[in-house]
Amino acid sequence: MKKTVISLLTALIVITAAVAFKNVYSCEIPIGNRGIRAAIKEGDLDLLFIGSSTFRSNLNIHTLDEAVNDRAFIISYGGNQYAATSIQYDEIKKRSKAGYGLMVFELDPLMLTEEVKLSDSRVIWDLSFDGKRALWGKLKNEGNAGLPVMYEYFVTSGMDDLITYPVTERFYSTRYYKGAKTDDTKSSGKEFLENEQFDISDSVLIDAQADAVREVIEKCKRDSQPFIFLESPHYYRLEDDPVYVEYHKYFVDLMNEYDVECVYAHDIDFDNHEPDFYEDMSHMSSKGRTVYTEKLVDLLRSRGLL
Amino acid sequence: MSLISISFLIFIIILLIVYYRVKPEYQWMVLLLGSIVFYAWVRPVYIVFIAVSIVSTWYLMLKPSKVRWILTLIINLGILIVFRYSIYFNIHSLIVPLGISFYTFMTLGYAHDCMGKKIEPEKNLLHYALFISYFPQITQGPIGTYGNMKDQLLSPHAFDLNNIKSGGYRVIKGLFKKLVIAGRLTYYVDTVFSSPGNYAGLTLIIAVFFYAIELYADFSGYMDIVCGISYMLGIKLTENFKRPYFSRNIQEYWRRWHISLNEWFKEHLMMPAVTSGWNRKASKFLGKIFPKAKKGNLRTVFPLILVWIITGIWHGAEDVYIGWGVYFAIIMLFSVCSMSYMKKLKKAIHWNDDNVFIKIFTTIRTFLIVLLGEVMFRAHSLSDAFMIYKRIFTTTKINGGSIMASLTPFGNGNQAAASVIILTVLMTVLFIVELLKEKNENAFSRHRYLYATGMLVVMALFGVAGQSNFMYQAF
Repeated sequence: MKKTVISLLTALIVITAAVAFKNVYSCEIPIGNRGIRAAIKEGDLDLLFIGSSTFRSNLNIHTLDEAVNDRAFIISYGGNQYAATSIQYDEIKKRSKAGYGLMVFELDPLMLTEEVKLSDSRVIWDLSFDGKRALWGKLKNEGNAGLPVMYEYFVTSGMDDLITYPVTERFYSTRYYKGAKTDDTKSSGKEFLENEQFDISDSVLIDAQADAVREVIEKCKRDSQPFIFLESPHYYRLEDDPVYVEYHKYFVDLMNEYDVECVYAHDIDFDNHEPDFYEDMSHMSSKGRTVYTEKLVDLLRSRGLL
Repeated sequence: MSLISISFLIFIIILLIVYYRVKPEYQWMVLLLGSIVFYAWVRPVYIVFIAVSIVSTWYLMLKPSKVRWILTLIINLGILIVFRYSIYFNIHSLIVPLGISFYTFMTLGYAHDCMGKKIEPEKNLLHYALFISYFPQITQGPIGTYGNMKDQLLSPHAFDLNNIKSGGYRVIKGLFKKLVIAGRLTYYVDTVFSSPGNYAGLTLIIAVFFYAIELYADFSGYMDIVCGISYMLGIKLTENFKRPYFSRNIQEYWRRWHISLNEWFKEHLMMPAVTSGWNRKASKFLGKIFPKAKKGNLRTVFPLILVWIITGIWHGAEDVYIGWGVYFAIIMLFSVCSMSYMKKLKKAIHWNDDNVFIKIFTTIRTFLIVLLGEVMFRAHSLSDAFMIYKRIFTTTKINGGSIMASLTPFGNGNQAAASVIILTVLMTVLFIVELLKEKNENAFSRHRYLYATGMLVVMALFGVAGQSNFMYQAF
């Protein structure tokens, strides 16, 4: 019986220590080329993008760097949600003493229809314990915080990265440069893009996501932080979908309500019918990324934002 | 009630306390009551169907006769067919009673044993009801025999801390296999098999390999859990797995995989079929076509085909399961029919079965044959399965690009490298443990506290939450 108790206690102590370490210190672990900590380490930035994988796939960091003397960075997470973006903004402001010229948030109408959830374990990894708790609070308010989710959120999520950190960090850091993708992404071809299945017909507005967009706007205004919202051009099949159009209109109304400057997809003369430019409906190929970023930089310059 | 749930944990704690607190002669009643609660937990209506099966079979077998045997078959197989296969007749509203395939086989096995006078018919309905409904084995087996289970279920068991410890260790081992190994492989396997046409050969090969490990870790993990729980109650269940992937030929594999089901088929279908009149006539007919073939081999041809097609259908009436059954029927037939030729060939080329390289070769060969069959078992349709075979043989390349592409089903690229490392470590550990156990059954019997602590830590930190369903529950 004594051995059983010792065994259970030992397991409990090891588990508690690992969980506590991950939750409190994950945001302090050095990460080479991506995430909040790496962005903060860069110091003052003229351009800071905060969004989803669309940003890291669709923006050419070298073109951006050229435009702002190497002072650009992209913070992105898979499927990054507005509910998380709002907290990421707080984290940057709280943990960084640097100044940020222009913050660019992602304008993705379909993100307004996403249930509040953990979209990428890196989201938790990069947040401080307070940030983690704040995001958990949002999940809880939305009723998406059952026991398995809580377990994943506070215990298992990011644990793989933590245990394999000495090996995997070297690998990951080669795939990113200042938060952007560095690999050569090929187009998936016209046949794939014309036939890729997507069904957004069941999408419904999630108020918490729209509220989080409002939060971001209000926080930036409160802090006198210059910011815009940027819509990446999706492959035309997605962008022409009536559901996309409906939520795009909602987003435009929201932006107008707060008088926020935006760069919509149609503001840039970019051919979103060109299959060579896309990997899938939302992510661009290397070619598309280069063409698009050049045009984006021109537009930002013409608007006096750079 | 899922075995991986808080409610089950509470249930088993209460049951253990009550079981060891009541007078020994009432212990079996506690088990029966617990089994009813366990079974009715999800849908109380399930009780009705199992009750019909129990009462009718018990009553009919009190005085076994041919007519009663046929009635038993009609009632039990009737219920099974209506519920299990109704979906194929476009009747979607029926709720399939939990574990119906398993308890129907136990029921029929009992009836068949009564008919063959291998056991005395049970006079007490409640004793028989406990045998069929005993909660650790009701949902996914093992398919126990009354001869083996009766005394264990009905005799008193004194509290023994060693049983609790050994059972608990086995439960931890099962949970580890399920939550850490099977749970981690599920995502990759599901992603690839849901749209196999999107993936090249290398990714498909990895997915098929992962599926074989997932299925084993899931099913044998479940068996470890139920055997462990039952052991805590002082009852030893039939073992269902004996490191099947180390088998050196396909017959051996089926003696080591899902042992209780295969034993059931052998006992209640294969043997009666081999000795039946129709088979004697059929094998005589075959003998005219193949005059040089051995009589003994010819007698197994039709029973083998029958058993394997029924094994396939037992898993489901979809074309993939029938295809899977036919595949193994062909392999088994080839294996049986070529046995004498192979013996001569081996002698001629001085083939030594004990040579370590030969052992490795035959083990890998058997595993590959099993893998090819598993493609059908997992694919959504036979056309998907054939597409997978075709793509494996035509689009497999091993270069940097294809290796990177094979990582995409891990999901977000940011986790792929970590997932690969952890899975590689876990599967290597599983392989080494099984290999050492294969060499020495008593390996790892010392330092169990250390292993248990390690498994608990890994399970808690690297397990996949929300994995409460087991794969064989679907059958």
